[in-house]
Parts: sequence; structure tokens; C-alpha cells
Amino acid sequence: MKKTYRSLLKLAVAVFATCATTTVMSANIFVVGGKPDDPFWSTVKRGAEAAGLVAESQGGSVTWLAPQNYDNLGIDAAELIRQAISQDADAIVGPNWLPDAMDPAFKAVVDAGIPLIIYNAGGLKAADHLGAMNYVGSDDYKAGVAAGEYFSAHDKNNLVCVNTLPGAANIEANCKGMIDGITAKGGVGATLPLPATSFGSSTAVAQAVKAYLLRHPKVTGIYTIGNLDANSSINGIMQAGKAGKVEVGGLNMDATVLANIKSGKQLFAIDQQGYQQGFLAVSILNSFVNYGLTVPTREILTGPGIIDAKNVDLTMLGVKKGMR
Amino acid sequence: MSTQSCSTENSSLLPSFGRLVRRPEAGSFIGMLAVFLFFVFAAGEIFVSPAGFSSWLNIAAEIGIVALPIGLLMIAGELDLSIGAVIPASSLMVATISGHFGLPEGVGIIAALSMGLLIGFINGWLVLKTELPSLIVTIGMMFSVMGLTLGLSVLITGSTSASITPSELSQFLLGQFIGGMFQVTILWWFAAIIVFGYILHVSRIGNWIFALGGDRVSARNAGIPTEKLTISLFMMSSLAASFVGISQAMVYQSAQVAGGQAFIFNSIMCVVIGGVVLTGGFGSVIGVVFGTITFAIVNQGIYFTDLDPNMGSIIIGALLLIAVVSNDTFRKMALNYSNKKKS
Repeated sequence: MKKTYRSLLKLAVAVFATCATTTVMSANIFVVGGKPDDPFWSTVKRGAEAAGLVAESQGGSVTWLAPQNYDNLGIDAAELIRQAISQDADAIVGPNWLPDAMDPAFKAVVDAGIPLIIYNAGGLKAADHLGAMNYVGSDDYKAGVAAGEYFSAHDKNNLVCVNTLPGAANIEANCKGMIDGITAKGGVGATLPLPATSFGSSTAVAQAVKAYLLRHPKVTGIYTIGNLDANSSINGIMQAGKAGKVEVGGLNMDATVLANIKSGKQLFAIDQQGYQQGFLAVSILNSFVNYGLTVPTREILTGPGIIDAKNVDLTMLGVKKGMR
Repeated sequence: MSTQSCSTENSSLLPSFGRLVRRPEAGSFIGMLAVFLFFVFAAGEIFVSPAGFSSWLNIAAEIGIVALPIGLLMIAGELDLSIGAVIPASSLMVATISGHFGLPEGVGIIAALSMGLLIGFINGWLVLKTELPSLIVTIGMMFSVMGLTLGLSVLITGSTSASITPSELSQFLLGQFIGGMFQVTILWWFAAIIVFGYILHVSRIGNWIFALGGDRVSARNAGIPTEKLTISLFMMSSLAASFVGISQAMVYQSAQVAGGQAFIFNSIMCVVIGGVVLTGGFGSVIGVVFGTITFAIVNQGIYFTDLDPNMGSIIIGALLLIAVVSNDTFRKMALNYSNKKKS
């Protein structure tokens, strides 16, 4: 504990030294994240930008770096991290989506003495392993377990996790958590991996779900990893003639998902509160770079939170404002 | 004597079979049949049940409506990648105008279709004026439209998605599931097949398109209005893309900024599997239809089998290569045949 504290202090001094050479004390923070047209990531970006208002008022800035698409996620994201280093970032926030491809880039950040926060994906384990200050985000495995348990509590004991981003560590952990969660309660779970091109294509996901349900008639619950996929899955269930028999629960949510929860078409959604991830990560780094302030709590969890018929109205209010 | 009679018999039988095999779509038809039979054996009864049929027909219909005009464009020697951005753009346009602002659906639909026509016009005009390959022009257009969609969507609705509750009429016409599983889009696709089939194979415009893909300069010298034709072809593909976007919004009752990019390669793939030659001048509407069905069957069939879905892309990739190789073979056969006849 003392050691980490001391190394943080050293870091702060180092940062102070580099800042002192420039005239203005300010934090130029680079945030690596998902595509801004991905509904979930747009809320993370909003959170980061909201915290960025404080950074800007203190003379700093927040820059959002995102890949063009998810076809080559790990390598593209690693490239963005290196881009942030080369643009003289004072602090970097990044998700550890694909550790194998991204770890070397994150290590380069730490080696360059730039404060780093891992957010959204990777967990505290990745943060410790990489020498990052902290982890801000939900625990993917725990989110999956919570989903499995929620399904079980509602008598849905044969589940499938529709994975439209196979290979992404956080999504794999989610599916694994769901399977473990339901298995612990005496049910069964499986994964349906779809090719990466189906991400974002409603028809591809709906038809895949429909085919899977016809092939596996015992399935009663579908867990999806993206907001769009949840809506598509509901459509697939309808086409398979299983509306009302098979329920959908999903990771993340947007206006459509909430409307579906409200009207009973979707059972629940797991929220990792993306706004908080962007907001907290940037805030922590900004106050650290500018004033050496630290947050001693390690692993700042922003989820899993469950949204179902009970709390859907309040959530809708937040969505309307683009914050959830 | 006997050999003489034998050869005459052969020559009277062979041409009919030979002509059939040498038709441009023969290769794609055989491919479609092979793929279908493969999945019938691999997946069993469910695959040939109505649910199984609807599963790949729904996919085929959506890609098919776009693949048809793309096929015509490719026969004319051009490409259009901007459709990948036009689909979500028009989807979102309808959902924003009629869902978010609550204006009549007719307004939203007409606005989205007009946007499609406009983008197509700009594509065609730019291709003609800049004389750049249409691949480059339409990639540029794709990114511009993508950026505009994202920017405007966030600016106007403050979100990257919009939802819409279709009226009964549009639900019936565009978003209906016949028998709970057959997307009404399938009927629109059939209509499109007839329209494009007429354009390419019956009307004189069809010959113009083939001439354009064969040799642009001599086509113009022969008095074909090549500029008008090129622009119209681009407008058709964009219009089809915006139609698919609108129907997606009605089917899923929501629209997203992302999505649609998969259509770019998928539609080109359908066209190429369907026997259209990449360099233009050769192909048919029925071939494109076979290609689309083949693609859709492979895409969907994989989920009805015990095969690892991760492997699906391998089959699609292999299929594409086989299609191109066999198309080449069939074309050579066709050309050899006519050469022999001349000599």
C-alpha cells in the first residue's frame, strides 16, 4: 500500500516536473473508446466530455479517440493509445478490450510516466498488471452472473448468450458469467457466436436468433451484449413463433430497450452506466494531474445495475437527457 | 454412316443443353443448388420447413433489393459502396421525421427516398465529372453520408438512435411479417426482380447497360446517352438502398446510426456469386437472384447445423472464390462456343 502510494507520489512529482516546463498547468487527457455512433459509447463520451468541462475550465482538454469500426479492434485501439502518447498526453484513459493486442501499448503509457486509468473493460486485475492508477467500470463477469441469476429467479433456466463481438475479452467474460450464473442455479447456458459483420445488422441477428431457437427449442432466455441486439433478438423470437415463451435480457440499454422493458417485450437490462465510466475516469485524472489529488478506493465499480419494469421510468428520464 | 448419325444426334441434343449450361447464370444456379442440398442434408427438416425458408428469404430479400441495382451498375462497369451509409441514413431519416418529430409517415418516407435519389445523382455526376473510378467516389460519399448522419442525428435528436411506431398502413406495406415469419420485404424483392429484369433483358436500356460495361467510348459513339444512363444507374442503387433503410425502420421500429456497412460487401458478393463479371459487360438479373439466394442460404444455414458459427465466414469466402473461378470458366465456354460457330 505504502509502495503504491509512494510510486503515485513519484508519478505526481514527475508529472509536475513535466508540467512545470510548460507555462500553463493543465491536463490534456486522451480517452480511447468505442465508436461515437455506438449508442452505449455515446453516453461514455458524454460523461468524459462533462468531466472535460472542468478540465477545460482549468486550461486542459479532453480528446476522444475511437476506431473507425470494430473489425480490427485490438490492434486499432492499441494504435490509438500510441497515438495519444505521441500527442503528449498528460493522462490517458483506455479500455483493455483485447489484452494480448493492447497490453504492450498500455505498458508504453506507464513506461512514459503518463498516468493511466483502465476503464470499461479489463477490471482491477488488468489495472494492477499494467501498473495503471485505477480501474473504473463494471465487472463483466459479475454482470453476466447477475444476468444468469435474474433469469433463474424468473424461471428461465435454459439460456443462450448471443455474442456479436466474439473475441472481445469483456464480452466473453459476460457470456461466461451468465453461463456460470445459471449453472450455479441448476440451469444450462450456451453461447451463440455471430460473425463480426453481424454487429449492428438487425436482420442478421434476428435471423440468427430465430434459426437458433428453431434448432434449440428448449431455450427460454436470451442474453444479448448490445442494445441493438436485444431489439433484434425480440424480433427473432417473434419470427420463431416463441413470443412470450422466450424472454430477452441484455447488456446496455437505450430508448428502444427501455420502451421494450416498459411494454414487457424485454425482461431486463444490465446497465454498466457508461456515463459514469467516462465522467469518473476523466475527473480522477484531471484532479490528479492538476493538483495531485488521489482516490484511494481501488476498483471503482459502475455496475452491474439491473433495469426492469420497477425502475424503468426513472431510467427513461436519464436517457432522454442522453446521460444513460 | 453410324458415326455420322451419332454426331448429328449429338449436335441436335447438345446445343439445347449446351446453351443452358453456357448461359451466364448456369454457374450460379448450380452453386445455389449445391449449397441448398448441402444444408438440407446438414441441417435436416427444420431447414426446409416454412420457418427455415423464411429465415434465409428474409435475409435474401433485404440484400436482394440492393443487389439488383448494384448488379446493373456492375454490368455497366461501375461500383457503389455508398449504399452502406445510405441504408442507415434513410432509416434514421424516417424515424427522426416521423418518429421524433411526429410528422406524417408519407413525409418521412418521401424525404428519405428523395435523399437516396439525390445521393445517387451526386455519385453519378461526380463519377462523370471527375472521371475517377466509382470505387473511390462512392467510398468518399459513404464516409460523408456516415458523418452527416451521425452529426445531424446527435445535433437534432441528441442521440444516435430514434424509434418510430409505424402506422397500420406502413406496417402492412413495409413492416409486416406474413404468417408471423415471412417479411413483407420478400414481395418487394420479387417486384424489384421483375422491374430490373425488364430493364436489363427486355427494354432497350438493357442493351445500353451491357454496351456501357463492354466499352464506354464505343457505346457513346453508337449514340447511347451514356451520361444519363450512368447517373440513372447510381440513382437506382441509392434509391433501393434508402428503400431498404425505410423498411428496416418499419420492421424493427427503430433506427440506428450504425449498421448497414455489411450490405456493401454482401451485395457485391451476391452479384459476383451471381455471375456478373467484375469488369462489367456480362451478367443477368436471374443470376444475381441466384447469387443472393446462395449467399443468404449459406449465411443462415450455418445456424441450423451443428457447425461452429464462427466458421460461416470461411464457407462464404470459399464460395465467392469458387463462384468467380467457375464464372470465368463458364464465360470462356460461352465465348469459345460462339467463336467456333463463326469459324
